[in-house]
Amino acid sequence: MASTQHVLLSPAELAYLHASLSLTPPIRPDGRTRTQFRPLVAETGILPGANGSARICFADGTEAIVGVKAEVERTQSRHDDETVYVEGAANNGGDGDAETKEDSRTGDSSWAEMTVEIPGLRDDDSGTAFLAAMLSEALLADGEFARRLWINRRFHWKLYLDIILISPPLSYPLPLLSLTTHLALLSTRLPRLQSEGDEDPFFDDDWAAAPHLFPRPTTTTPTHRPPITLLVMAVGDSIIFDPSKEELAVADVALAVSVSGDRSEPGEGGAGRKLRLLSIRTIDPPSRLTPPGVANAANSAYGAGNGAPQKMAEARTAEAEAAAEEGVWRAPRGGAKRAVLGALVQKVLEAGGVVDEVLDALEGVDLG
Amino acid sequence: MPREAEPSLSERQFVLQALQENLRLDGRELDQYRPLELSFGDQYGVADVTFGRTRVLAKASAEVTVPYADRPLDGIFNIATELSPMASPAFEVNRPTETEILLSRLLEKTVRRSGALDTESLCLVAGQKCWSVRVDVHVLSHDGNLIDAACLAVVAALRHFRKPDTSIEGGVLTVYTAAEREAVPLSWLHSPFCVTWSFFGDEGETAVLDATRLEEQVRVASCTVSLNKHGEICQIAKLGGVPVDAVALLQCTAVALTKVKEFSELVDKKLAEDVKKRDKGGFMAELSAENER
Amino acid sequence: MPLDTSAYNLALLRVDGRRWNELRRVHAQIRTQAAADGSSYLEMGHTKVMCVVTGPSEPGPRRGGAGAGGGGGSGGKDAEVAVSIVIAGFSSVDRKRHGKGDKRTLELQSTVSNALSASLHTHLFPHSQINISLHVLSQDGSLLAALINAATLACVDAGIPMTDYVAACTAGSTSTYAANDEAADPLLDLNHQEEQELPGLTVATLGNSDRVAVLVCESRVQVGRLEGMLAVGVDGCKQMREILDRVVREKGQRMIQEGTVERGVGLNDMDVD
Repeated sequence: MASTQHVLLSPAELAYLHASLSLTPPIRPDGRTRTQFRPLVAETGILPGANGSARICFADGTEAIVGVKAEVERTQSRHDDETVYVEGAANNGGDGDAETKEDSRTGDSSWAEMTVEIPGLRDDDSGTAFLAAMLSEALLADGEFARRLWINRRFHWKLYLDIILISPPLSYPLPLLSLTTHLALLSTRLPRLQSEGDEDPFFDDDWAAAPHLFPRPTTTTPTHRPPITLLVMAVGDSIIFDPSKEELAVADVALAVSVSGDRSEPGEGGAGRKLRLLSIRTIDPPSRLTPPGVANAANSAYGAGNGAPQKMAEARTAEAEAAAEEGVWRAPRGGAKRAVLGALVQKVLEAGGVVDEVLDALEGVDLG
Repeated sequence: MPREAEPSLSERQFVLQALQENLRLDGRELDQYRPLELSFGDQYGVADVTFGRTRVLAKASAEVTVPYADRPLDGIFNIATELSPMASPAFEVNRPTETEILLSRLLEKTVRRSGALDTESLCLVAGQKCWSVRVDVHVLSHDGNLIDAACLAVVAALRHFRKPDTSIEGGVLTVYTAAEREAVPLSWLHSPFCVTWSFFGDEGETAVLDATRLEEQVRVASCTVSLNKHGEICQIAKLGGVPVDAVALLQCTAVALTKVKEFSELVDKKLAEDVKKRDKGGFMAELSAENER
Repeated sequence: MPLDTSAYNLALLRVDGRRWNELRRVHAQIRTQAAADGSSYLEMGHTKVMCVVTGPSEPGPRRGGAGAGGGGGSGGKDAEVAVSIVIAGFSSVDRKRHGKGDKRTLELQSTVSNALSASLHTHLFPHSQINISLHVLSQDGSLLAALINAATLACVDAGIPMTDYVAACTAGSTSTYAANDEAADPLLDLNHQEEQELPGLTVATLGNSDRVAVLVCESRVQVGRLEGMLAVGVDGCKQMREILDRVVREKGQRMIQEGTVERGVGLNDMDVD
């Protein structure tokens, strides 16, 4: 999918950017190291009317707010069909020995609804639709999240996640939106269930008693965390995290990688975290969207009356490309190399790497 | 998107200067409407309103449908406005302009939200069947003051409209044709009308009623007041524009009330005339074998 | 949820404990966002609105849903004020999805745009566009008023020349629409519950004058009640203007103290003491 609008940079500027980013270590325009994130300000619980909310402000001024609202919804009659239910129970039988068959929870991905609003873009714009799809895909990837919304066999929580980008889309907003969603989900609380079994649910009025959707990490039990989606790009041999708009313009390949960092065993820092890869999506950098300029000499349409065969024109194009001019950056053609993709993913999943750093930082945010 | 031709500088200057001297291009007083015509079609529920060169046609229709799930006891009432390229080249089909959105919102607030039509009376079987009344507003010619004309047309059309009579026996709903049973008028509660003021001058000190298209293009602000003849405000909309003195706005509302009473009388009179025209002794007279000898 | 207005006659206190002429708590901030040319955050009671202004700038390619344009039209001799309003799904008690094509939102957009373009000196920026994007985070009545106030503050922050503040608030009446009771009290600054049950209107005035830029009434009310409601509303707008002015001055002072802005750079006429 396409990332944001075009940047107005001259070929020379692009070449400079490309060259400085390909150095080892790369020199980034804003002086960050390869793995450094933009500094951010985060707060949670800003909306008293929502079940959970968060706001993140990056230092470059981009800002997003996410509100989570939950409603009780009647589960579709799927469970009336006993065979299907039993089948579902069998599938989830391995969840835990403590759970009896009756207790086994099933989830449906339609229980969480995600909408993204970006100022200046229409609701049905492909950009917003893709963003929403990528974010919800990561969230619902393992089915674990939807299972949390289970109340009883007849009812479930319907979770609405409204993601709003407040600032104009200065850089590709995916990491910002993902981190904000992560925080909002961490701060989400659902009223405590007081009814039992499959009766119509009723809840405890006391908000203070409401448990979090994602329980606080304790030292004894493993905890699940919502996923985060990071943007990683490669220029030459350098792998760069959280690229800005200008950096993205010269990317050879850009990936949106969703990971979840569940703490499988108690421990300090990133040591006890088990990183799981949930999804990978390639992001088209802007350079891919413009057809590369073709020199007149290589253009078959230009003065093509002489019946020059297509092959010759193609050969000339390749020739012209090979003879790259110094100081002019040409957008890479063709797909990314598998080795590069592999290196990118490996870098993301590195223990004690960027993901751990980000998750630790987000855990440090006061959840109110 | 085609844009409307803007009046030239000299044209603009001329209109504004004349207004400063309390003169209008067509020789009207500032608070005078253009000659107003209202006629009804052969069918029930068709009203044709003409203000000078502005002409609006409204047609009411009804059908039996399922009520909305959240309002099982209410019928459905909709006003549809579409400004077609027929009225002005600036209007395009399927692409609502600001004018169209504001017009439909105003009609909605004036007629629907003020409860002019008793929607509960449209309910036939709670939660299952109800009447859906729909008014389509067609602008045939646009020479300013669409709002007032459209509102008058909608109200007149709905008051003229007759929906087929129905009966329910043992859970079976019967809709009678006009030949079986006389159609019945809608349950109408009050008749709101819109009066639109246009303001001119640096501080909006000149207030003018029933502006023509040219005047609308050079005005600095406008304010639409909707009232009924009992002196109830249904809606006021001064959506931005140059600020106007609060006291002047109050005076405008007072004048609007007298205009609304005139509209009310006009509609009543025309409706009565129409009834007289249609009434040739009623159904019985038609069936009777006697003829004039 | 019917509002028990009978209690009002006993204690002369409203559902939230205010008297008839009291505003709710107003909290406002400007320059909340570094990336924008102008930004603001405004709370009127539980109604919370954020505003971001970009421009005046070259009008970009026409994008769908960029908002209703007002004030002269694009490409003309005046700058176009393009407003887009996003009403967050979580802003009301029951979640409701507000599409961008919603007619009510479009009407709000065009009202804010027209109200501001009359006060902004748009003729100074020909062939350009001022983008105002408003985000509604929480609604509890007086939405239009909050939107106008937030947009005004953000325009001040963006440094766009304007005649004066456009300050807005709502006013209502304790009478029902049918009863023409003279004893009905006008009320200032309606919350959501009052807005549902009582007749009310939104007023926006220009600066300290009695001149009304926006007057929107969406409920049935006797014409006799209008004068009282309008008078209270205009008075409330003046109070609101004072509040907005104080916010701007305090921020200006702080910026000078912090050294963000040098004293005397374009701030000659600002009395800082």
